[in-house]
Formats: sequence, structure tokens, C-alpha cells
Amino acid sequence: MPVDVYGVRHHGPGSARSVREALEARPPDLLLVEGCPELDGIVHLLGEPDMVPPVAGLVYAVDDPRRATFYPLAHFSPEWVAVRWALARGVPVRFLDLPATHAFALEEAGAPPTREAGDPLATLAAAAGYDDAERWWEDAVEQRHDSPAERFDAIREAMASVREADPRPDDDPGVVGNLRREAWMRKVLRAAVKEQPDARTAVVCGAWHAPALVPEEFPPLSHDRPLVTGLPRTKVAAAWTPWTSARLSYASGYGAGVTAPGWYQHLFDHLSGERPDQRDLATTWLVRVARTLREERLDASTAAVVEAARLAETLSIVRGRPSVGLTELDDAAQSVLCEGSRLPLDLVHSRLVVGEELGSVPDSAPVVPLAADLARQQRSLRLKPSASVQEVDLDLRRPAQLDRSVLLHRLAILGVPWGVPADTGRTTGTFKESWRLEWRPELAVDLVEAGVWGTTVAAAASARAADRAEGSADLAELAGLVGACLTADLPDGVTAVLAALDARAAVQHDVPALLHTVEPLARTCRYGDVRGVDTARVRDVLVATAVRACVGLPMACAGLDEESADVMGTAIDGAQRGLALLEDADLDATWHLALERLSAPEHVAGTVAGRATRILLDAGRLARDDVARRMGRRLSVAAPAPQAAAWLEGFLAGDAVLLVHDPALLGLVDRWLSDVEDAVFEDLLPLVRRTFADFSKAERRTIGERVSRLHGGRADDPAPSLDLDLEQATPAVLAVGRLLGWEVARGGAA
Amino acid sequence: MTQVQVDTPAVLREHAEQAYADELAALAAVDDRPRPPSWRLSPWAVATYVLGGRLADGTVITPKYLGQRRLVEVAISSLATDRALLLLGVPGTAKTWLGEHLAAAVSGSSTLVVQGTAGTQEEALRYGWNYARLLAEGPSREALVPGPVMRAMETGAIARVEELTRIPSDVQDALISILSEKTLPIPELDEEVQARPGFNVIATANNRDKGVNELSSALRRRFNTVVLPLPDTLDQEVEIVRTRVTQLGASLELPADLESLSEIQRVVTVMRELRSGVTTDQRTTIKSPSATLSTAEAISVMTNGLALAAHFGDGVVRADDVAAGLLGAVVKDPVQDRLVWQEYLETVVRNRKEWNDLYRACRDLG
Ligand SMILES: Nc1ncnc2c1ncn2[C@@H]1O[C@H](COP(=O)(O)OP(=O)(O)O)[C@@H](O)[C@H]1O
Ligand SMILES: [Mg+2]
Repeated sequence: MPVDVYGVRHHGPGSARSVREALEARPPDLLLVEGCPELDGIVHLLGEPDMVPPVAGLVYAVDDPRRATFYPLAHFSPEWVAVRWALARGVPVRFLDLPATHAFALEEAGAPPTREAGDPLATLAAAAGYDDAERWWEDAVEQRHDSPAERFDAIREAMASVREADPRPDDDPGVVGNLRREAWMRKVLRAAVKEQPDARTAVVCGAWHAPALVPEEFPPLSHDRPLVTGLPRTKVAAAWTPWTSARLSYASGYGAGVTAPGWYQHLFDHLSGERPDQRDLATTWLVRVARTLREERLDASTAAVVEAARLAETLSIVRGRPSVGLTELDDAAQSVLCEGSRLPLDLVHSRLVVGEELGSVPDSAPVVPLAADLARQQRSLRLKPSASVQEVDLDLRRPAQLDRSVLLHRLAILGVPWGVPADTGRTTGTFKESWRLEWRPELAVDLVEAGVWGTTVAAAASARAADRAEGSADLAELAGLVGACLTADLPDGVTAVLAALDARAAVQHDVPALLHTVEPLARTCRYGDVRGVDTARVRDVLVATAVRACVGLPMACAGLDEESADVMGTAIDGAQRGLALLEDADLDATWHLALERLSAPEHVAGTVAGRATRILLDAGRLARDDVARRMGRRLSVAAPAPQAAAWLEGFLAGDAVLLVHDPALLGLVDRWLSDVEDAVFEDLLPLVRRTFADFSKAERRTIGERVSRLHGGRADDPAPSLDLDLEQATPAVLAVGRLLGWEVARGGAA
Repeated sequence: MTQVQVDTPAVLREHAEQAYADELAALAAVDDRPRPPSWRLSPWAVATYVLGGRLADGTVITPKYLGQRRLVEVAISSLATDRALLLLGVPGTAKTWLGEHLAAAVSGSSTLVVQGTAGTQEEALRYGWNYARLLAEGPSREALVPGPVMRAMETGAIARVEELTRIPSDVQDALISILSEKTLPIPELDEEVQARPGFNVIATANNRDKGVNELSSALRRRFNTVVLPLPDTLDQEVEIVRTRVTQLGASLELPADLESLSEIQRVVTVMRELRSGVTTDQRTTIKSPSATLSTAEAISVMTNGLALAAHFGDGVVRADDVAAGLLGAVVKDPVQDRLVWQEYLETVVRNRKEWNDLYRACRDLG
């Protein structure tokens, strides 16, 4: 009836090696592993050849999959090593923690979730001056005790004193939860011993629990029984799911994650080999670092690797550490291989220290509910995942194709980017959509992660959108999200995001930010029409936001510098495009009133005032005479020339037709340019050129012709001879010619 | 030309090994850890000297470099593995300062320095001649005038090369063979100098100067590089300035009560905002001047302010005492920088109510 308790560091390669040695030394007849027993039914899958770590056991409440616990396993996890050892030898494996059915039900009833107590061995290591718990294991546990049994005895004793010194009060929720779990573990142990009194049982659990699981020191049954009887239940399911190295760093059912899985793998591989050599450990690691750097075309010679290894060793001595750890290797690599710069090392970190491994699970393994829902829709919509890239064109008027579009949009919101829009520019307002589909294995993990948001794609996407809206203060992002929810046909999402947008807009004082929401929301309204979605609520929020912007506009445009005036001009343009789509007479009236207050006064920055004037002119809100008067004032000699040029740029905004058709305005521009002093003109040239550069060649030609006529040509002459006119022209024509980029001096038009 | 600094009873500015002779002696007395050949102290003691601490016998070691411990550890470990050390960073990040203290602690002398300039010649890195003797006696060891690097090789000490990237490339090349062969041939005498154990080089270079005389990759490979950063946070930087200004004030015999140092916070804030191009609250973007506004500039603005306050005021440093210093530090280019400074005054300083005095003091300067 002997029970061997192996208290490990979860994800600790040192623990993993000791566990393997211990199992070899005293082969058990039964293996009990920390983890909830719901995994018992699928533990055999861990023995299959297609099960490749990192993988995670996922246990979740069927009615509320957000309530879930992950048990990640890497190659170097003691649990993985122990389970594989047992399965290979036909030794039965069971899990001994408090069942999730009770744990989740207790949480539902208000008990705080019982997490593992962090990483107690890392705490011990830190107390001993180590920043790498594995190096501490190596020095303090491994080197000091020859037999694995002695090591685990030492760990258990150390943990007993740590628990002794635990400062938390008895009624601390963490303490209470832990007591219940350990009572359950003892219950399982008692049952196992009773079942087979002569069998040898091995227990692999987190070091923290080890002192509580020694049968000789068990408390009386009466102590444990009340803790584990009459517990509530809820329906629970379990699955294996592929995991990634990066995700091993997340906190999980096994407590704190580890930040350097790649380094741990290296430690595990190296020290599991025959006659491991400390110095080799550093050198082989630095060789890998150098190779990674070289892949990025950074020079890292073998000689430098040797120097880096020497530096790492000296560093560990200077720091008073018995051996080289990852910190020393990092510092040495940075100084010797990266010329002191941290940037290349960051790259090494994501590639090597964390690692980029993706595990896989056998096809026969059960899947999570969200994945099941997606698989169902993929079948019914006949949209199969494939590892190679597919191009898909969808016609949104056909219901089946619209459904595919909706599914892809929902997945995008969920952060499972299976499809990427192939031509983002054209999708709005048309009946066509193009996608590039590519199923990468990581998407399986994204899907599991997205599982926290719901059990169906639709519900999860809505919840995710609402959550993003909750956390975002960026109006443009929110406006975009509204559109995304509409195209993804998520009415709940739309409602939630709109509410957030409305609330944020109410407290937003940044007028350009408000203006920037107008266009995407207006497009959404239009697009909603294409898809036959009700957009009344979007319209309400849009109107409210636009009105807020109109109110703030005049104040916001006072005293703008050149750069902010450009920003404001762009924002006004966007809003104008949006409002034009909307065709809302009331809103337009408010908008024009606000613009009038930018157009009339002379202190408003040129770009903005010019733009406002032009919009009012185009909308028929301003008579040509008024426009001419305002332009005249703005382009008078008294006004600073750069401001005048900015006004003109704002006013024309790349659209020359106006000048072509309005001789009065063209005359004003011409007169202004000819009056400007030569020196000022030179300064102005690039600015005004920019204005005219936006025009098409044909527009420029026509303007040139009109200008010529202003100075004597006949207005009704359809094709004046440019050469002739230029000869008679005033200097202004030359000026305009230069503006338009003509080689005037040679007497010919470009 | 090269300036070889000679030991004189310095009054104005003592060398590190003089100014901190007590601390170095106290460290040597308790230091029982292994020392690399020719080192006056163990690496541990050198680290304690640079980073500060309290010894078993109660002696307090003042911190010299305030910043990341690991950088200093890497620097010391490099020297202990016989690898030359390159301290890289923008101006005013304590490259020279750290190099001097490392040399003082390791070799007991920080005076074997080559000051790198465009005019630095190979003689500075090798040796020159006493021409009178050369002409009279012909080439001999007596007629040879060793440069600082050669002297460091002969004595197993640390030589410092300041502003390495300012030195012309062909002269830099002389360092490559010295660092790789650890010998210095003297063809005129058909001899060579072999470096004694303990010889090493600490070089500094400004990584803003990029492209001036970029280090050849052959030379770069001889060095372990430590990049000294600008301080991460306002508090760290204030702390550095406070420490240094107090020390400098003491050596100039300026009475600096900590009260009067409250101005530091503002000076450092101005420097950091102009350096980073954004106000501390991250709300307002501002333009940066052409000069690097380093911690060292803040130290010098404050030290000047302290002197002004001590000699012409009541000893408390106020806005009036630092305004001119700030202006001088920021406006290096009379046109561009002045605009930057004006804009900063009008858009940032002016809007801070509690900075009213500073605003007025700066505006009065024009
Ligand atoms: N992190 C720091 N710790 C201590 N002093 C510092 C620090 N940063 C700057 N200083 C101070 O700045 C001043 C100038 O440093 P210096 O070594 O001349 O800069 P660099 O050689 O990098 O241009 C010195 O007085 C130094 O004490
Ligand atoms: Mg310097």
C-alpha cells in the first residue's frame, strides 16, 4: 500500500526529469495526477502518436463555456512525462483533483474560483536569489540529492514549512478552496488504497499539495468528509485542444504560466541527454541564438558565440550564482552578439525563448462547442477549411452566399481570421464580396480561446464585439465596429456597440474625432440598406454625433495652426462625404450653419475656411457673389500670402471644374497671383502647385486657356492658339503657366 | 592633439581615484573575493563601488552610476573576460563618467585617456618620440614617448578611449591589432611591447554620431557593447540629477539644502518633454530642439542655478536662477531652436498655473 507523493513544479523540466527517474526507480501500479477527473475519460488519447504537445486539457461547463479550466501540457511538463510513462506500460492513470462539476457549480453559487497558489517553487527560488526557478531546482534540489525520492522528500518538507508560514487567514477564500481540493484528493487516495491495498500508487501533484497527501499524516475522516459531501453539480465536458508555446505563459488550472517555454525545452532536452555538461548547455543555447540572428541577416560569428559564453559565465560569477541562467545568456548575447541593442534580442525571445510550437490532437479527440458549431456551419454552407489559399467571390443577393459572408464577418470579429477580404476598397455598397480563405492550424487555438465568448459563432461574436466596445474610447474604432456588426448580422452586437459609441461621443470634446465617425456610420446606413438590415438606430446615433460635432466646430476652429487645420480640413471632408450619402435635410441645415461660421469670419485658418466656403457654394447655400466677395477678401494683398494660398487650396480641393466655369472666380485668382510680390510668389509656388497638381491634365489645360482669354482672347473661341495668347499675356499668365507646370518660356504648352 | 592627463594635485576636479580614495580603500580592505590578474578589486567590489552599498564594517559606498544594475555587471564582466568594453549612448548618459569610475576601481587609475577627435593621430594610440633625444641619440627606448594605451599595456592597466567614432578610421585600425594581438610592435627599435595581464580598453562612443567615422566591423567585433540608456522615468532622472547636483554643490562649496532642489523636478520635466516631443500627460505634441537634452544638461542647468542662487540670491534655487540655463541648453540653433522654445513656452509652460513664475522668468529673457 505504499504511496509515493511527487510534488512538482508544473511546467518544470527539472521536476519532469526527476519524476521520470522516480517512476523508473519505483514503478507504480496506479498513477494519480493533479487535474479534475472529468479528464479520466479522455486521458488514453494522450498516448496516441498524433497527440503532440503543447496541448491542453480543456474542461468547461456545458451551459456556460466561459467557465472553463485549461490544463496545458508541454514535452517538459512532469504531468505529461508521467502520463506517457504510465500509458506506455499499461499502468492505469486517473486524475485526483476536485471534480469540475462541483468546482464550477460552487463558483456559480458565488464561491470564488480556486486557483493554484501561484508558483511556490519559484517563490522559494526567488528567496534564494534565483530569478530562474529551474536553475534553482538544478542547484538546490538536483545537485544536492542523488535519489529522486530524496529530492521529493526535500521538496515536501520545504513546502510544509512554506505552508506553515502562510500569512493568509483560515477563512481566506484561497485557503478554504485549497482545503476542499486537498480533502477530495485524500478521498481519492483513500479509495485507491482501499481498492487495492497491496498496490503501489504514485501521485504527481503541484509541490504545494504534497505535504497534505502523505497517508501517514492524513487528518481523520471526520475532518475531510463535510468538505466533500453534498456538493452542488453542473454539467461538464472535457476535450483536448492544440496549444502553443506562447500560450504556456498564461495562468491556467496548473497555476502560473511559464515565460520561457523554449528555454525550458532546451534545458529539458539538454539535461535529459547522457552526461549533460553545464558549459555545453550555455554554448548550445548561444549557438541557437546566433543561428536565429543569422536567419535575420545579423552577423553572429562562431568566435562571438565563444565570447558570449565566456561573458555569461563570468556574469554568473559576478552575480554570485552557481551556474549560468537565462538572464546571463540574454545579457551576454545582447552585449556580444547584438552590439548592445535589445531589438534583435526581442526577436530571439519570441522565436527561441518562448518558441513558436503548435501542438496537435488526434482527429478522434472530442472538440469544444464553438468549434463544433463552426464545423456544423462549414458543412451546411459548404465552405470547407483548407490549408491552401482559396479565393471566394460572393454575391450577396443570393441567400446562401450572404450566409457565407455573414459567417466570415462573424469569425473576423471573433478574432478567428479564417477569411480576409480580398478587395476592401470595393465591398461597400455593392452586392459583391471577395475573400481569401486560408485555414492555419493556429486558428484552432484562436477558436478555443474565442470559446470564452460563447458556444455558437453568432453569440460569441456578439459578446466579443460588446466587450471590445466596452473597452474602447476611440470613436472611429467604435464606428467601424458598428459597421462590422451590421455586416456580420449581429443585432445584439450593434445595440451594444451603438450604446457605447453614444456614451463616448457625449463626453468627447475632440471635434475631428467626432467628425470622423460620420462617414463610416453613414456608409453603414447605406450598406445596411443593401443587406436589408434595419439601421434606424445607427441613424439616430449618427445624427446625435453629427450635431455634437456641429456645435463644437466653430470653437474648435479658432486659432488652428497649419497642421491642425489640415487635420480639421480632412475631418470636415469626411463628414461632408458621409452627410452627402445620408441626404438628411435637417442635419444638412445644422451642418451648413456651422460651416457658415467657419466661412465668414476672417480669423479662421485658410484651409478650413476655404473648404467650408466651397461646401456651402456647392450646396447652394452661398451665392456666387458672396463667394466672390469672400474670396476677394481672403486673396487681398493685405492678407498673408500663405494663408491666402491655404484658403485657395481648401476651396479648390482638387476640383478645378469650378474655375473652368466661373470666369469671375478665375479672375480673382489670377489677379491675386499677379499682385503677389515676386519674392512671396517664389515661396508660394510649391504650395499653390500642390493645389493645382491634383487637377487632371485636361483641367489644367482648360484653365490655362480660360486665363489666356481673360487677358484678351475671345471667350467663344473654342481652340485659341496658345502661342499667340501667351505672347500677349500679362505676367500673371506666365505665373499661372508656371503653376500649371508648363514650360512657358519655350512658348508651348505641355 | 592627444591630451594625456597627468596627476597633479587637482583642486578643480579630482580624478575618481582621488575623490573616492576612502571608499576604494575601504572596499579593498574587506574584499576577499578572487581578483582577476592586476585588478585592485574583485569584480564584486568594483560593482559595489559603482552601484553603491554598505559594507560589513559599516562603510557606506555612494552610488556613482544610477541605473540598471545589469548593465554595470555586464560591463565589469566584460573587462574581467579580457574583452574590450564599448560604452555606447547619446551624449550625457554617463559614458565617460562610468568609464572613469570603472578604470579607477579596476586599475586604481583613470588617467590613461585618449581623447578622440578628428585630429587624433596614431601616436596617441601607440607612441611618439622625444625628438631632441631622437636626434641626439638615435632611436632608443629612452627617446620613445609612450601614449596612454601603451602605458596601460606596460602596466597591465585600463586605458580609456573617449569618443572613439570621432577618431579617423585609419587611426581606429591601430586599435584592432592592439586588441587582437595584445602586442604593440616598435619597428624602429625592432622590439615589441607585450601587454601585461590586466590590460584592457574602455571606449566610449556617441550613437547619435552615426556615420561620422562608423566603427569598422572588425573593430566592433573586438568589443563587448553596453548601451547606456536615457533614464526611463521622470523619477529616476530627478534622482540622478538630485544626487549629482548635491555632490557637485558640495565640491564647489555651494550650500545646497534639499529644499532648494525642488526646482529639479521642473527642469527635468522640461528636458524630458522637449526630448520626447510630447508632454508628460501625453496630450500635447511639441517640437524637439536640435540638441540632445540629456540628463547631463539638466545637471548643469541646476548646478548653474545653484551657483546663481548662492552668490546672488538667498541660496534657494528659483525659476529666475534656472531660466537662463534652460534657454542656453535648449537654444543651440538661434532660429529653429528659438521657435521651438517659444512655442513650448506659450503652449505648455504658460498653461501650467503653478509654472507661472517659470513662464515669466523665461519670457523676460526674450
Ligand atoms: N545614470 C546616471 N547616473 C549618474 N550620473 C549620471 C547619469 N546620467 C548622467 N549622469 C551625469 O551626467 C554627467 C555627464 O556624463 P558624461 O559621462 O560626460 O556623459 P557622456 O560621456 O555619456 O556624454 C556626469 O556628471 C554624470 O554624473
Ligand atoms: Mg563623454
